[in-house]
Amino acid sequence: MSDLTLRQIEKSFGRTKVLHGIDLDIRSGEFVSLLGASGCGKTTLLRIIAGLESVSGGSVSIAGRDVTELPPEKRDIAMMFQSYALLPHLTVAENVRFPLRMRRRGSREEQVAQVEKALETVQLGHLGDRMIRQLSGGQQQRVALARAIVSGPQVLLLDEPLSNLDARLREEMQVELMEIHNQLGLTTIFVTHDQEEALSLSDRVVLLNNGRIEQQGSPHAIYSAPETGFASSFLGAANLLPVAVEDGPVARLADGQELALRDEETQRGDRMLLLRQEDLKIVPATTAGALRARVAIRVYLGARYRYMLDLAGQRISLTAPNSVHVEPGEDVDLTIAPDRIRLLAR
Amino acid sequence: MTDRREAWLFLVPGLALLVLGFVLPILRMLVLSVLGPDGLTLQQFARFFQDGYYPSILWRTVRMSLVITAITAAIGFPLAYITSRVGPRLRLWLIVMVILPLMTSVVVRTFGWMVLLGRSGPLATTLRDMGLVGRSFSLMHTEAAIVLGMVQVLLPFMVLSMLGVLSRLDPRLEEAARTMGCSFLQTIRRVVLPLAMPGVVAGSLLVFTLSASSFITPSLLGGARIEVLAGSIYKSVTQTLDWNFAAAQSVILFLGLALVLIPYLRLGARHG
Amino acid sequence: MVKAVPTWLRWLAWIFVILAALLLLAPLVVVVGVSVSESQFIAFPPNGFSLKWYGNALGSREYVEAFWLSLRLAALVTLSATLIGGAAAIALSRRRGGQALETFFLSPLVIPSIIFAIGMLMLWSSLFGVTSFLALWIAHTVVALPYVLRTTLAVLAESDPFLEEAARTMGASWPRRLWHVVLPQCRPGLAAGAFFAFNISFDEAVLSLFLRNPGLNTLPVQIYGQLEFSPDPTVAAVSTMMIVLTVTLIVLLDRLLGLNRVAST
Repeated sequence: MSDLTLRQIEKSFGRTKVLHGIDLDIRSGEFVSLLGASGCGKTTLLRIIAGLESVSGGSVSIAGRDVTELPPEKRDIAMMFQSYALLPHLTVAENVRFPLRMRRRGSREEQVAQVEKALETVQLGHLGDRMIRQLSGGQQQRVALARAIVSGPQVLLLDEPLSNLDARLREEMQVELMEIHNQLGLTTIFVTHDQEEALSLSDRVVLLNNGRIEQQGSPHAIYSAPETGFASSFLGAANLLPVAVEDGPVARLADGQELALRDEETQRGDRMLLLRQEDLKIVPATTAGALRARVAIRVYLGARYRYMLDLAGQRISLTAPNSVHVEPGEDVDLTIAPDRIRLLAR
Repeated sequence: MTDRREAWLFLVPGLALLVLGFVLPILRMLVLSVLGPDGLTLQQFARFFQDGYYPSILWRTVRMSLVITAITAAIGFPLAYITSRVGPRLRLWLIVMVILPLMTSVVVRTFGWMVLLGRSGPLATTLRDMGLVGRSFSLMHTEAAIVLGMVQVLLPFMVLSMLGVLSRLDPRLEEAARTMGCSFLQTIRRVVLPLAMPGVVAGSLLVFTLSASSFITPSLLGGARIEVLAGSIYKSVTQTLDWNFAAAQSVILFLGLALVLIPYLRLGARHG
Repeated sequence: MVKAVPTWLRWLAWIFVILAALLLLAPLVVVVGVSVSESQFIAFPPNGFSLKWYGNALGSREYVEAFWLSLRLAALVTLSATLIGGAAAIALSRRRGGQALETFFLSPLVIPSIIFAIGMLMLWSSLFGVTSFLALWIAHTVVALPYVLRTTLAVLAESDPFLEEAARTMGASWPRRLWHVVLPQCRPGLAAGAFFAFNISFDEAVLSLFLRNPGLNTLPVQIYGQLEFSPDPTVAAVSTMMIVLTVTLIVLLDRLLGLNRVAST
C-alpha cells in the first residue's frame, strides 16, 4: 500500500504555472528524493504535501486519506526547513517537544522521554537545556532533525536540509540521515538540487524539470540510463553530441568521424550521443576506432586532471589520472566501451 | 588620527544644541521645582499631595493611560500583523492608513473627534434617531471621549513599533509551527506573540508615555472638569501663572514615567 | 504569507481592517466634510457644498500670518535638523561603542515634550524675559533631530562599511570621501529625515503653545485657540489645508523614497 499518493497536482502562482499534473505514489518507508534545479517546482510540491500551499488542481492523500483540503496541522507530517526554523524563544528540548505538545501525544512524562530519545538519536542528548542561538549551525540542524522525527510522522518532509552545511558536515549528516532512516523506517521525501545527495541517499529519485516529472527510478537506473538529454546532463557531468546513426551500425559525428556501435542498435537517423566523463579514456594516438579530439584547457585537480577537449565542433570535458599527461594544443584519441555508449532522441 | 578629529567636529553642533537647548531647559525646570521665595524647599511637592485633588488627577492620568495603552495594543497587534503579512500593494495602503493620521497635526485630529462626538455629530445623531439616548446626549466631555480620541492619536505609534519587529520575523517559523500541529491562532499565541514581545513592550511604553503627558486632546475632548496631569501643568503655566508648582508637577510626571521606563531600558541593555 | 488561514478568520480580518481604517481616518474625513458645508454650524454630514470657508480662511489675517510663521519655522527647522542630525549620524556611525552617545541624541524622543516645553519657557523667561522665534526654532530642531538621526543611521548601517576604506585606497582625502562616498550613501536617510523634520515642526503644537506670545502664534496654535474658544467651519477649512499638505508630503515621500522602506525603519 502506498503511504502518499499525489494525483494530477497542478499549481499556478498568478499566471505562471509551476506544476503540470504531477502523479506520484510513494510506498510506506520509502526514501524518495525530489531532484531538480531551482525553480523546477520541487519545493512547491513539498509545500503542497505539507499543506503550506494550496493546490490549483489534483489531490493529495496520506495513508489512504484525502488531505487535499486539510491545513498542515491536521496532516500527520513533519517538515524540516532549509533554514531549520527553530523557535528562538524556546530551548532545544522545548523545541523538540513542541510537536508532541501541539499534537497532544501522550503525557508530559512520555513526551519528555520521547524528546530525550530523539535528541539521543541525533547525538545531542546533553544539549537539551541550551537556547537555540547558543548552538552551532551543525547542532541546530540536528535539533531540527530531532524535532522532525520525534512525533513519528506518517511522512517526513526534508527541504534541502543539508544545503547550509559545509562539505565535511554534509557528508557526516548524509550518513546519519541514512542510519536514521534505516532505524525508524519513516516515509521520507527529500528535496535537493544536489544530484550526488539524491543518488547516495534515496531508494528512488524523482527528477523534476519545469514542473513536470522528467524521469524517475532507482538511483542506479536514473544515472546509468537517463532517458532524456536533460536527465543525462543533470545527473553527472555528461557530454552530448549530435550524431547520425547509419548502417554498420555506426554513429557519424558532425565532422565525419565514426564511432562503432553495438550490433543491437537498429534505429537509424539523427540522435544525441551521450558520453559520460568517467567512460571516456585518453589513449595513445592512432588507436583503431578511437575519436580524435584536440586539448583546449587542462585543469589540475590534485589526483586528476580535468581536460576540456574540442571534438567535432563541440567542447567536451573529461577527467583523467595524473599518469596521463597531454598539453593544450595536442591532438589525442579517445575511446569508449561500446556498451557504455548511450543514444538519446535528438 | 584625522578620523577622530573629524568625528568630533561632526558631533559638536548636535551636542551643543542638545546641551544648551535641551538639557539646560530641563535642568532649569528641575531647579525651579525646588526653589521657593527663601531658598530650597519641597513645599510645592507637599502641596501636590496635601489634599485629594491633585492625587486624584494623577490617578486618573495613570488609569486612563493604562486603558488607552491596553486598547491601543489590542487593536495595534492584529493591524500590525496583517500589515506585515499581506502582499506589497495592500501593505502600502495599510501603511498610508497608519501614517496619514500620524503625520497630521494632533490639533486637527482632535478637531475631527470634536465634530464626531459633539451633540450634532454623526454618533450622537445616530444614537438619538435610534431612540437610544435623550435629546441632550453628547459624548463630549467624558472620559470615553478622551480614550477614543487618544487611541486614534496614538495607534500609529503602536502599529509602527510592532511592525518593525513583525516584518523581521521569519514566516518560516509560523509555517514550521503549522507543520507541528499548531492551528493558526495557536501559532499566533505560541510563536508570533512571544517573538514580537520586544515590539509590543516598546510600543506600549511609548504609548503610555505619550498618553500620560499629553494635554491637547484630553483638554479639548474632556473639557475643564475632567482634568489630567499634563492639562493641570498647562493650566498652572498659562492661567494661574504658578510656575514653581508647574515645575513640581512636571517633575512628578517625569519621575513617574522614569519609574516605568527605567526597568525596561535596563532590561533592553542586558539583552542587547 | 502562511497559507491555510481559516476562511472565517480571513473575513474577520477584513472587517477588522475596515473598522481600523474607520477609526484612523474618520476624524480627518469629517474635518474635510465640515469645511465644505454651507451651514455656519459645525455639522456632519455637511449641508450643501460651498468653498466660502476657504475664502474666509485665506482672507483672515491671523491664519495667513500664522501660516507664514509656521512655514518659515518648518523650513528653517528642516535645514538645521538635517544638517546637525546628519553630521551627528555620520560621526556616530563610525564610532565603536557610540551607544551611550546615540541614546543621548535620541533622548528627546523619550522625554515628553511637555516637560521640555516647560523647561524651555522657564529658561527663556529667566534669561530674556520673553520667548522668541529663536526659542521655537531651537525647540523644534531638538525634537526633529532624533528623526533625522535615526533615518540616517539606519541607511548607514545597511551600507557597505568598506566603501570608505576602498575610497581611501584610491587616494581620496577625507573631504572628498565625505562628498563622493559618504554623503551619497546618506542621501535617502537625510531626505526621509528632512521630510519628517518639516512635518514635525509644521504640525507641532505643545512646544508652540508653551512658547507662544502675541506675535508668535503658529498655525496649530491658532487652530487650538479657535477650538478652545468656538470651532467654526473656517477652522475646518484651515485644518483641511493642513491635511492636504500632509497628503502631499506622504505622496512625495513615497515617490522619492518608497513608503514601505521608510516605515520599516
